[in-house]
Formats: sequence, structure tokens, C-alpha cells
Amino acid sequence: MLWYKAWLETRSRFLTCAATLTLFSGIFVHHAQGLLRPEWKSDFNRLLFINQQFLVIMWVLSVVLLGMGGIIREQAIGTSSLTLALPVSRRRLLGVRIGTGVLEAFVLALVPWVAVFFVSSLGRRPVSITQVASYVLLLVGGGLVYFALAILVSSLVSGEYTAPALAFGIVLLAAILFDAGLRQLNVWRLVTGDFSIDRTTYLLSAHLPWLGILSSLSAAALMLLASTIVLQRRDF
Amino acid sequence: MTNEPVILTHALTKSYGAAEAVRGLNLSVGRNRITAFLGRNGAGKSTSIKMLLGMIRPTAGSGTVLGKQVTNPDENRDLRKRIAYVAEDKPLYGYMTVEQTIRFASAFYTDWRRDLEKSLLRDYDLPLQRKVKTLSKGMRTKLALLLAFARRPDLLILDEPSEGLDPVGIEHLLQALVAQSAEGVSVFFSSHQIAEVERIADDVCIIEKGRLVVDASLDQLRQFYRRIDLVFPSSVAQREFDIAGVERIQTSGNEMSVFASKNAEGVIQRAQELKAISVEVAPVGLREIFLETVKEN
Repeated sequence: MLWYKAWLETRSRFLTCAATLTLFSGIFVHHAQGLLRPEWKSDFNRLLFINQQFLVIMWVLSVVLLGMGGIIREQAIGTSSLTLALPVSRRRLLGVRIGTGVLEAFVLALVPWVAVFFVSSLGRRPVSITQVASYVLLLVGGGLVYFALAILVSSLVSGEYTAPALAFGIVLLAAILFDAGLRQLNVWRLVTGDFSIDRTTYLLSAHLPWLGILSSLSAAALMLLASTIVLQRRDF
Repeated sequence: MTNEPVILTHALTKSYGAAEAVRGLNLSVGRNRITAFLGRNGAGKSTSIKMLLGMIRPTAGSGTVLGKQVTNPDENRDLRKRIAYVAEDKPLYGYMTVEQTIRFASAFYTDWRRDLEKSLLRDYDLPLQRKVKTLSKGMRTKLALLLAFARRPDLLILDEPSEGLDPVGIEHLLQALVAQSAEGVSVFFSSHQIAEVERIADDVCIIEKGRLVVDASLDQLRQFYRRIDLVFPSSVAQREFDIAGVERIQTSGNEMSVFASKNAEGVIQRAQELKAISVEVAPVGLREIFLETVKEN
């Protein structure tokens, strides 16, 4: 039932984001491929790469929004004593919220690319499943750190607007600072495929940046662990 | 079934910086009793209850509920399976319908009773398909009470349960509490409604500024608390009545009013030694006991 509660809490945000991402990708690829000549193979791949750039922006915004809420927010709106009186641990409460969010984040990465796959197939420029899978993997594997950041911020800040504003601020600041000084560690570039794209063919390399993905997932795990500790120690 | 208290705390304390919300609370709530927890706003009632339910970590002290340590998260989770709790502000998820709320809550408890749920739904006349956020305050209170009363827990904890209810709703609530108690459920509830407490409570605890100042059965309070009005030939110093049981003295010229929690005989004897012209002893109600106690502190 906790899963059901988490779904009810996030479904409108999730469905709105899923519809936006899918419609954007489908329309963008459909419209843009109509402008290409059939022989411009690499330009079509470049189009997919550009699509990923836009998708990353919208996907990160979406997963940060999905990471908002939780028991701290419930405390602000007065429902935390109902949730905390249930015979479940705080760890489980957070775990279910994370589980729901991760599944939704995965769907938000997958569905737009599935739409692109079908739209490009209908336009007789089928994109390879390997490329689609690689883009999805980069989004989820590299980008879950943004969702974890949102969970951590929402475990510390209760404001309906301050929490997402702070999370978006950190995302933006991190992208700027890492790009200026530590470009190789910039998660944003990892997720967009910047580190794995072949600039001639605009195809993602078969050798994905596994080390970067693993590091990003580790950072996400640390943030989620910190969120759990914060939640367990907090008074409501 | 043992006779050990369902709630037992020892020097339970909660501080926020320099401010102490609850100070060395030693509470003992008897099994199969209806215990009222009284106190002014901000006296520490809700904080105490939240400590019992593991929502707030005590700064010091310890406590058990149904024999489980409240400060141990695993034990606290287990004890919450056997407790029905209605919080002060009757929190409910606004995005759920009445039916979804009932299905959601019932899934967590093995002591949920469908027959009671149906009967309460009929009594309360709750619209199953309505979103909770569209319900009136009274309806929300009824739904919150239904979530507690559709179970047969070992302990029922209610924080100001009658708030938001009309007189008919309050009457139903009091009857439901008595019925629960008759079925072996221990009831611990906080309230500002002294008349309600006098009608149903077996025991009364009064908390003031985070400290427990009264812990007795209602019968004991009725038996021992007295107001003794005295008239003397000339004025008498208050220190003459500095004896056990005297809680508060008011003097006005030759007249003196003594509020005693026990030992009324001792006060009368003292008055007679001081040649009182008139001695009038009157029993006091819970309202007066409460007001005098919090005034005293």
C-alpha cells in the first residue's frame, strides 16, 4: 500500500512529464527528419544526439520534481503524523519513495526514446536499438544522481517551492562549475553522451563510460544514504 | 493478560535548546482504563504522545508502551501495530478518496474489522467516492476516528479527538470510547473538554509546563480534593496552613479559601485550633481541580 500511496502522490507529475518528454521527442524527430536528405546519414544521428541534449534538460527537471515531497513535506502540510503512526520504519517509507521514483525515472528515459524509435521507423530512417538503449542507459545510469540530489534536498528542506528551487540551483551550479574546472567529471556531459559520441558518425561508442556511470551511481547511493540518516534522526 | 501499565515512562524529557517541552515525565497508564491527559495548550501533551509513538526522540529518560521500548525504532514499529492513534489535527491524505483512505489504512493492520468499518461508515454517513480534501472538518474528523475505531487495538491514543465534532458527533465519540474500553481496549486521550473527561475517564493525568502535576483516578480526585472556606475572628497568616495536602490558599481580610488535594481533616482541625468562626467544606469538580492546579504551577 505504501507503493500505492507513492504512486498517487507522484502520478500527476509523472504523467505530465512523460507526456511532455514523449511528445517533444516524437515531434522533434519527426519534424527534423523531414528536413534531412536521405543520404545525410550522420546528420540524422546528429539529430538524435541533439534530441538527447533536450531530453536531458527535461528529464533532469522531471526527476528533480519527482524527488520532491516525502515526509518532510508531509510535516509542513500536516500529514506526517498519519504516515509515521503506521507500523513501518522510516527507512522503508523512504525506500518505497525512492523505488517509485527510480522506476518512474526509468520510464521517463525509456518512453521518449521508444517514441523516437517508432517515429524514425515510420520515417524509414530506423534508429538502431543499441543506440536507443545506450541513450537510455546514459540517462538513467548517469542521471539518477539528480534524482538522489532531489531526495536529499527534500529530506532537508520542506518548502513547496524552496526545495525544488534549491535542487535546480545546485544542478545548474554544478553543471557550470564542473564545466569550468573539472570537465571530465561533469555528470551533465556524461548523461548527454558528450563523452561517448563519435563526432564523425554521431553514433554513441560501443564502449560506454562505465566508470563515469558507476561513479555517478555511487554518488547517488551516498546521497540516498545521507537522506536515510537525516530522516531517521529527525523529530516530527 | 498482565496488569502492567500499557504506558510507563521514567523521567521522559524533551528539550529544544534551552526550552524544555517535557520535563521528567513519569507516567503510568493502567490497562483497560480510560485515561484522560489534560493540560493547557503548549503544556507538552502532544510532544509526550509523539515521544511514545517514536515521532520525537526524547532528550532523556525512557518509556515503554505495551512493554516495548519507545526509543528503539524496531520495537516502536512493532508497538504501532497494536496501537490506534488519532492525531490532534486529524491528518489525512487530501488526494485520496474516503474509500482509498480506508483501504490504505486497513492494509497495515491485522486487527481491522470489516463489520465495524461498515457500521461506522453507516453511522458517520461518509461519502466513499469523495476526495478527502473536499470533506468538511467534521467529516474529516469522523474519517480519522473511523480509521481508529474500525480496529480492535490494545491501546487507543487520541489527541483531542472531539475537536471539530458537533454535539451529536461528540456523543457518538464518547459512546465509542466507552464501548472500546468495555471490549478491553485501553484508552489514553488528551482533551480540553473537562465535561467529556468527567463523563468517561477512569484516571486523570494533568501536565503543566511539561511536568506531570496530577496523576490519580477520577474517584480519588472526587474523594480527596476539597475547597474549605474559613472565616476567622481576625486575619490569619497563610503560613499557618502550610500543611500536607494544601495546594493553594486565597485570603481576603478574615476570610480564607483553602484548596486541598488531600488531608481536608487536617485543614479543618487546624482551622478549629485557630478558632475559626465558620468552616465550610465543599467537594470540587474536575474543572476547578484543573484550573487550580495549572494556576498553582
